[in-house]
Amino acid sequence: MFFRKSKSNNSCCGSDTDPIELHGLKKIVLVGNPNVGKSVLFNRLTGSYVTVSNYPGTTVEVSRGKAKIGNENFAVVDTPGMYSMHPITEEEAVSRRLLLDEHPEAVIHVIDAKNIQRMLPLTLQLIEADLPIILTLNMMDEAEKAGMKINVRLLEKKLGISVISAVFIRNVGIEELKRVVENNARLVS
Amino acid sequence: MPGSLASEYSYPPEIQAAINTIEDSLKHSYNLSKRSVAFLLLQGDEEIYRLVEAKEDSNAFMFIQKIIQKTAKQFNESLNYVISVKRQEQVNNILTETVEIKPEKGLKNSNGLINELTFNPITGVPILLLVLYFGLYKFVGVFGAGTLVDYLEIEIFEAYINPLVNSWVASYIPWPAIQDLVANEYGIVTLGIRYAIAIILPIVGTFFIAFSIIEDSGYLPRLALLVDRIFKGIGLNGRAVIPMTLGFGCDTMATMVTRTLETKRERVISTLLLALAIPCSAQLGVILALLSGKPQALAVWTGFIILVFLLVGYLTAKLMPGENPMFYMEVPPLRMPSILNVFSKTYTRMQWYLFEILPIFILASVLIWAGKLTGLFDIVIKALEPVMKLLGLPPDAAVAFLFGFFRRDYGAAGLYDLQQGGLLTTTQLVVAAATLTLFVPCIAQFSVMIKERGLKTALAVAGFIFPFAFLAGYALYRVLMLIGGI
Repeated sequence: MFFRKSKSNNSCCGSDTDPIELHGLKKIVLVGNPNVGKSVLFNRLTGSYVTVSNYPGTTVEVSRGKAKIGNENFAVVDTPGMYSMHPITEEEAVSRRLLLDEHPEAVIHVIDAKNIQRMLPLTLQLIEADLPIILTLNMMDEAEKAGMKINVRLLEKKLGISVISAVFIRNVGIEELKRVVENNARLVS
Repeated sequence: MPGSLASEYSYPPEIQAAINTIEDSLKHSYNLSKRSVAFLLLQGDEEIYRLVEAKEDSNAFMFIQKIIQKTAKQFNESLNYVISVKRQEQVNNILTETVEIKPEKGLKNSNGLINELTFNPITGVPILLLVLYFGLYKFVGVFGAGTLVDYLEIEIFEAYINPLVNSWVASYIPWPAIQDLVANEYGIVTLGIRYAIAIILPIVGTFFIAFSIIEDSGYLPRLALLVDRIFKGIGLNGRAVIPMTLGFGCDTMATMVTRTLETKRERVISTLLLALAIPCSAQLGVILALLSGKPQALAVWTGFIILVFLLVGYLTAKLMPGENPMFYMEVPPLRMPSILNVFSKTYTRMQWYLFEILPIFILASVLIWAGKLTGLFDIVIKALEPVMKLLGLPPDAAVAFLFGFFRRDYGAAGLYDLQQGGLLTTTQLVVAAATLTLFVPCIAQFSVMIKERGLKTALAVAGFIFPFAFLAGYALYRVLMLIGGI
């Protein structure tokens, strides 16, 4: 938990535009509260190429990596946590700026399924902003243990977006998520 | 598509009307929908406000401003609050149809009970003490610092390695200066590597195991919640609990985490407290080891550090006035720690630790060697001796404090050596340990302080800590003498 981000840290001052390796790739942005598994998902999607750099003018770190989904490479951006579209802390402000400025092909909103009630308002805001949202209910196993049964298909219909149930640490739902991203990308292009 | 959802929205008509009007008056395109921009304007988002001000012509912007003001007047609460509450209602509506909550199962009940117990201060504090007693005192203090260190120090280093290195050096290297670099009292192998491998490694190793288990079980946020009450008492924001709790792992990382705090005031206070009164895992391990043989010494040390923490926290919070914003914290359920996880965390931490400290310990050995060769070492020790005297410490303790400049745990390891030699009374041990705990942050932490808070603040913090540590140590010594020592 403490030492993960020491990989390749070109930490100071430089611009935060894409590293050469990620130029021209379609983008996927991961958003959500802190501690919902965004970084786990980031690590599962990327792997080969990862950079961590400061967002310009701040000390907030942003991880970027390359993911191969279907036959296409995507640039994946892991944002610092955000609780709502209306930011309070610098980290939230950076997360929102990333969402707005990166023109993502897909925005994956990761939530902790057992706390869906507290986290879904952000989903509504993201939908309202016309961002290409895919909602991912992570930690479904814990939600089920807590006695919650979430009707994913009905939730999809109600929200009008793709909803995926997942347990990232056990690799559940990652393939389905990739398929949805692939299909969405095909629709766009 | 999103449209179908939007039609289900039912904001109060005044807000709905304001949103529609603002949407219509926005003539430029933003990277998010105009509807979203309109909402954020009503919610008082400054960044969006400035963006709109820059993009739209001044008439349109003034019109929008008026609408915002007019709408705000129609509600008792802030628009942000009204909109947030409505949004939560919508979420609740969606969830009543899509989520079924079954009555709790038996398993969950027992988990729920333990949950409750860790939250409630009456049961939470005893549980905390139990965790500390078995997890830290018994496992790290007695097993790690006692059994393991004794074995490595006495059976391995003192019995085999040191004599071997000393005699090897004596017979193959003709120059005494080079002999001292590698062996003898302050040599790279006999001091630097011995400290790293025989004293620090077993202690932080056992500490990292205990810490990983505690961390993985989800206990840390509960601890933060308990401490939160005390924090509010001294006028600090509850949010600051998180970096403070992390500080017990590593103050350097925790100083980095202070950036998640909302105001500059909180960031500065937390940075100061982390540098002053929160011992990091490595230091904590060695101090626990040092004091675990004498429970009363451990009690005095703990009480003293807590007192300093509360006092300095209270005073700085008073000196730097500000409000305490609301604070929410995510508390995950208690989980069974996975052995694999604990193993890999402990492994990465020990690996990181060894990579970081070994070069510093070796460098310190070299510097001390160079200092001895040039006589600088003795001058510094001589200069520190009167200070030691004021603290009631033997002159030899100056060496430990000098080590402390390189890393706090290195200094503590120096004390450990003194204590093993029977050179310290219990009172002296407590005073030395307490002063060294407050004393300078390690080099890594200091450089992060500069990076995060700027050079001026970092220097000010260090400039405060240095004399304060010795003054507090002196005060502790006088008090202990007054009650006749312990």
